[in-house]
Amino acid sequence: MRTARIAFAIARKDLVSEWRSREMVPALAQFVVLALVIANFGFQIDAKSAPSIAPGVLWLALVFAGIVAFGRAFTSEREQNTLEAVMMTGAPPSAVFAGKAIGAAAVLIVCEAVLLPALTLFFGTPLSPGLVVAVVLATVGMSALGCVFAAMVAQMRARELLLPLLVIPLWIPFIVAGGQAVQVAMGANGTIDEALRLLLVLDILFVVLTSLAARFVLDD
Amino acid sequence: MSAIVAEGISHWFGSEPALDSVDLVVERGDHVAVLGENGAGKTTLLRILATALRPSAGRLEIMGLDALKERARLRTRMAFVAHTPGLYPALTAEENLAFHCSLRGVDRARIPEVLGMAGLANVAQRRVSELSRGMQQRLAIARAVLHEPLLMILDEPDASLDAEGADLLAEVLKNRTAVIATHNQALATRLCPRTLTLRKGRVLGAGSRLRIVQ
Amino acid sequence: MTRKRLEIAAAGALALMLLAGGAIFLYAPTDALQGQVQRIFYLHVSAAIAAFACFAVVLGGGVAYLWKENLTADRLARAAALVGLVLTTVTLVMGMEWAKPVWGVYWTWDARLTSTLVLWIIYAGYLLVRRLATPGRQAARFAAVVGIFGFADVPVVYFSVQWWSTLHPGPVLVNDALPPEMLATFLFTMLCTLVLAAVMVAIRYRIEVLLDTQPMAQVVPSSAVTSQS
Repeated sequence: MRTARIAFAIARKDLVSEWRSREMVPALAQFVVLALVIANFGFQIDAKSAPSIAPGVLWLALVFAGIVAFGRAFTSEREQNTLEAVMMTGAPPSAVFAGKAIGAAAVLIVCEAVLLPALTLFFGTPLSPGLVVAVVLATVGMSALGCVFAAMVAQMRARELLLPLLVIPLWIPFIVAGGQAVQVAMGANGTIDEALRLLLVLDILFVVLTSLAARFVLDD
Repeated sequence: MSAIVAEGISHWFGSEPALDSVDLVVERGDHVAVLGENGAGKTTLLRILATALRPSAGRLEIMGLDALKERARLRTRMAFVAHTPGLYPALTAEENLAFHCSLRGVDRARIPEVLGMAGLANVAQRRVSELSRGMQQRLAIARAVLHEPLLMILDEPDASLDAEGADLLAEVLKNRTAVIATHNQALATRLCPRTLTLRKGRVLGAGSRLRIVQ
Repeated sequence: MTRKRLEIAAAGALALMLLAGGAIFLYAPTDALQGQVQRIFYLHVSAAIAAFACFAVVLGGGVAYLWKENLTADRLARAAALVGLVLTTVTLVMGMEWAKPVWGVYWTWDARLTSTLVLWIIYAGYLLVRRLATPGRQAARFAAVVGIFGFADVPVVYFSVQWWSTLHPGPVLVNDALPPEMLATFLFTMLCTLVLAAVMVAIRYRIEVLLDTQPMAQVVPSSAVTSQS
């Protein structure tokens, strides 16, 4: 199918470029681990307080990493004027958008592969499958939202300041659900199913909305 | 059916006027050179003709279709070589072309063909960042013909063109309709029997055979 | 609306607000538990409702613009966004003034307060996007997207925070049943506030029309003159 072909071509191109330059992923991975280290010194962490602090630290790190990753997804295209070349092929904006979002999500998931084990190491968070699924689901929704606004902001002034302002209010439900998932994994009441269900609903809602919005943000 | 029918094309950026009521008809197979000083509005006009920019006012019909409504469809039959080529520096020449083949649904067999035509066969595996400006320009032109467009719009393709590039351009424009913005007298004379001169966003004169009125 | 009519409407709206003020302080009874401070409630909630109404207009205007490129819809959305933001600010400030004497804290992260704050941030973002994007089509499209996502987000934020609160109980808001005089006062105040909001949107709409049309009139070499090349 044409849309899928285009989306995967774009995602692949982004990932290959990133692999060749190896700029963003190592920097982001280091950043998230550093966030954990700082948390250790900033908070009084012991076995009792770890479950309250771990969720916050995880999502704080991911939110900031996400802002950087999604911002970069579009600024580099803008610098090289490559996005216009892509749009001039007549590719549907939703396909182009999907490709960018998939590529950015992949980068973020690589960071999570570093972050979650580090969280286990420093905070004792058990690496349950439920938690991993929750984090991946949240990444999907956050990527969709992050990329819509990154695409928008790449065409405007004051983009570094504007992206977090626009995107973080929209990410709050993901952070709430994701935070809850971490807490449950660390032994709080409730099952992880509730959090997973909420994340799934959020994903469906925002993936649909962002696909519809793509054409207003990518093309004139 | 004419290739391009532009009526009353006007454009302003904010309150800055860029084009003022430009009319243009391009028949199939025509090669038209758009001339004018910097700031005359050539790039703006070309971007509008290429459907990269929506005009503030005016009517535009390309290959019989309403250019403002059928942009996606038109873009699959046209090629636009912009001022900055939009190549990916970290990817090789071949990878850049392969990417566009995927975007346009073109068979990969075309890649060696166009590379050969552009004289880039021996640098196919080199990253674009390592190619000279002239080679990059040739690659951009090669990329533009992957899908065998009917209409080509080129914005100052001569900017960094080397000798082989000029030949490539001549080759590529055969049997195609083309609108080219250029400063280069010699190129325009060689390639374009028709000219359109812009000054401050207005059509100063149109003609055949190059005569710039100083 | 002509300028004259707008002036009359504005005077009328102000008069209504004064009446509402009178009702709040003279007609409504004093709350048994909270005392005089409770009177903030009338305007606080009215402002919140009026703000929501404004943001609904922003949503409608945004959708209409994206669908039909209707410039009126866009201007209406702009006007309503500004008025809505002002009303949301009023809501938040009055809420904090009310919270301190009654709960002892200025702020708590329950669903309602959090959603209202998020609402404020989103529409502040809307106005920023309008300002920072290329004026005209780009600004209108981008802002419409922000408005639509923002409006969709607020109930989502509300429900997720509420869900989270059930798992992490916090301070409980006291909700008295309203005696008839209070209810009447509240409804009247809400009506007056809505009228005020509508008048403010109308005024701002007119300003937006002027902002849009003035600079252009200086620039376009009056399309009447057609002789070109």
